[in-house]
Amino acid sequence: MSELTTQTPQPTAAELVDWLRGRVAAQTGRPAAEIDADVPLNDYGLDSVYVFGLCAEIEDQYGIEVEPTVMWDNTSLAPLADALLGLIAAR
Amino acid sequence: MSGGAARWPTGLPGVLDDAIEAAAAPGGPFHPATGARLDAREEFPADACAVLDEHAMARAYVPAELGGVPGGLPELVAALRTVARRDVTVAVAHGKTFLGSVPTWVAGTDGQRRALARRVLDGAVVSWGLTEPGHGSDLLAGRLTAEPTADGGRRLDGAKWPINNATRGDLISVLARTAPEGGPRGFGLLLVDKATLPPGSWSPLPKEPTHGIRGADISGIRFTGAEVPADALTGGPGDGLDVVLRSLQLTRTVCTSLSLGAGEHALRLAHAFAAGRAMYGTALLRLPLARRVLGRAAASLALADAASLLAARAAHCLTGEMSVVSAVVKAGVPEIVQLAVDDLAELLGARGFLTEHHEHGAFQKLERDHRIVAVFDGSTAVNRASLINQFPALARLHRTGTHDTEGLAAAVAAGPVPPLDFGALRLFSRTGCSVVQALPDAVGRLAALAAAGDVPPRVPELARALATEATAVADAMAAARPAGRDTPPGDFGTARRYERCFAGAAAALLLLADPGDQVRVTSLTAALERALELLRPGHEAPEEAYEPMLETLAEPAKELIA
Ligand SMILES: Cc1cc2nc3c(=O)[nH]c(=O)nc-3n(C[C@H](O)[C@H](O)[C@H](O)COP(=O)(O)OP(=O)(O)OC[C@H]3O[C@@H](n4cnc5c(N)ncnc54)[C@H](O)[C@@H]3O)c2cc1C
Repeated sequence: MSELTTQTPQPTAAELVDWLRGRVAAQTGRPAAEIDADVPLNDYGLDSVYVFGLCAEIEDQYGIEVEPTVMWDNTSLAPLADALLGLIAAR
Repeated sequence: MSGGAARWPTGLPGVLDDAIEAAAAPGGPFHPATGARLDAREEFPADACAVLDEHAMARAYVPAELGGVPGGLPELVAALRTVARRDVTVAVAHGKTFLGSVPTWVAGTDGQRRALARRVLDGAVVSWGLTEPGHGSDLLAGRLTAEPTADGGRRLDGAKWPINNATRGDLISVLARTAPEGGPRGFGLLLVDKATLPPGSWSPLPKEPTHGIRGADISGIRFTGAEVPADALTGGPGDGLDVVLRSLQLTRTVCTSLSLGAGEHALRLAHAFAAGRAMYGTALLRLPLARRVLGRAAASLALADAASLLAARAAHCLTGEMSVVSAVVKAGVPEIVQLAVDDLAELLGARGFLTEHHEHGAFQKLERDHRIVAVFDGSTAVNRASLINQFPALARLHRTGTHDTEGLAAAVAAGPVPPLDFGALRLFSRTGCSVVQALPDAVGRLAALAAAGDVPPRVPELARALATEATAVADAMAAARPAGRDTPPGDFGTARRYERCFAGAAAALLLLADPGDQVRVTSLTAALERALELLRPGHEAPEEAYEPMLETLAEPAKELIA
């Protein structure tokens, strides 16, 4: 996992939101442009019990460990990106 | 074979087995006629439960460090299976206390854990209240509220239904809305002691007539301003979903014991029938088709047993992977067993259908009883959905072949399991599923054993074929998009195939761990044959593949628990 991930540089908030948007789009089959960073993921069909796949992708991409419950404490992409930026900076 | 009482000859499953055997004498609470009579009258099997209480069954529901049995989840699975192979209704009725207690083991304070352990060891009945009228699988749809009171406690309003033991139970774990808006942080879990509630603040809902487990207390409970103290909360007020999802990883694993018991019972009844049934101048048991059906059913059970045993051991040795493992076995094991039961029903002909013939209609009763296993504690579809959610990580890790070598070595070994670290249960597995990911590696090692003449050459052949299937499944998983409620049906089929890969991998790894035990090798090889049949549509195991299982069936009870 680490060879791939340590190379991902520190993203800006906008870059991180864009990447997350792309993942949610891929998972839900919607165009990325439709995913609003301030709308709860639940509204796009990702129920709370079924959001952990995204969590695994985040860990993999940025080489960090996140508590799956970060997805519950931040239910849309903008606050989620904020929570993740600190973790990525600290890796 | 490996999952049963013989592992604990002096432990609880052995003690229970003897006690149940004695109680199965004519007129006794475990005699089939007694079960049939209670079933017909929809009457609770109180005397059978009393036998289990007398022999301290509850010790299997409590962690070792709190006074429970030393063998952890594997010992609990063996104990409940021993009950279920006589009467699934009794196992469901009694075993529920484990389900209701788990949240406290997972997230309770030291004081809460000690207090509940004492109650359970004293025989208290605990139920597990998630479902509400109108809301089942969708845990966050529940309306029952737990509002704060002035003195720091909570006031419960709403109903839980249908709930096993809701009426008979002393305590109930309740998932309740702690924030009006709900959401993943808006639910808490409360352990409610019915005896301490103000009179009039709760009432039982009537027993529901059911298709199977007719004698069980399937009812409900309604709270109207029921006040509970602050320490009723298990975990924080917003931790309910987290605690429930981690608890389900253990309860779902243990549910497989009900299927193992039901399957064993079905096989025993069908074998006895075939041995005694004279036809065409011979016995049914001598007809090649009957032999095939019985042998294949025995192989299915060996396969289910391998999956269940390894899952129960994984709870102790690969704890962080239980989000995958529990979903895999809760969906896969009841289905593999149900297919076997269906085949056996056909062999029994009329006797699988008549309610008063052949062992007092025990077969049709177990067949009805077993249906519930795929429904409660998360249906097959719900478990598959949660598995699909983990597909991307599983696919990626399968490609790399990485796995937790140390944890897996402990899981497949025969020795005692380490204590279960409840805090290590995670909402999703970081290391995927070591059992499946280790399959390619096991192929090479089995081939080396076969080359040295230590296992039959068929074993690495089968393991290699299974590894090929697992790779194809991993490719399908990589292509899937885990889309929550919009998941396409094809992904559920992929999940089913992954479950069968897990079961096959479990059989291969257990065989590899102890290739010297001939009986075990025979039954695990048959399990591998069956796994491949289940994975390859149209593929049939070679003609003689299941014949060795027939020999071990000659003494059914001994073989299957040995
Ligand atoms: C005998 C018996 C005893 C029970 N005991 C208890 C108990 O002790 N405690 C308790 O809390 N509950 C108990 N239940 C309730 C049981 O757990 C629920 O019936 C179960 O959770 C399903 O809920 P539901 O029936 O409302 O179906 P629904 O949730 O309405 O589901 C309807 C259908 O949709 C499928 N489905 C659900 N989610 C998904 C998904 N994500 N993807 C695809 N398909 C999906 C289901 O598999 C089902 O086929 C018991 C039920 C019975 C029959």
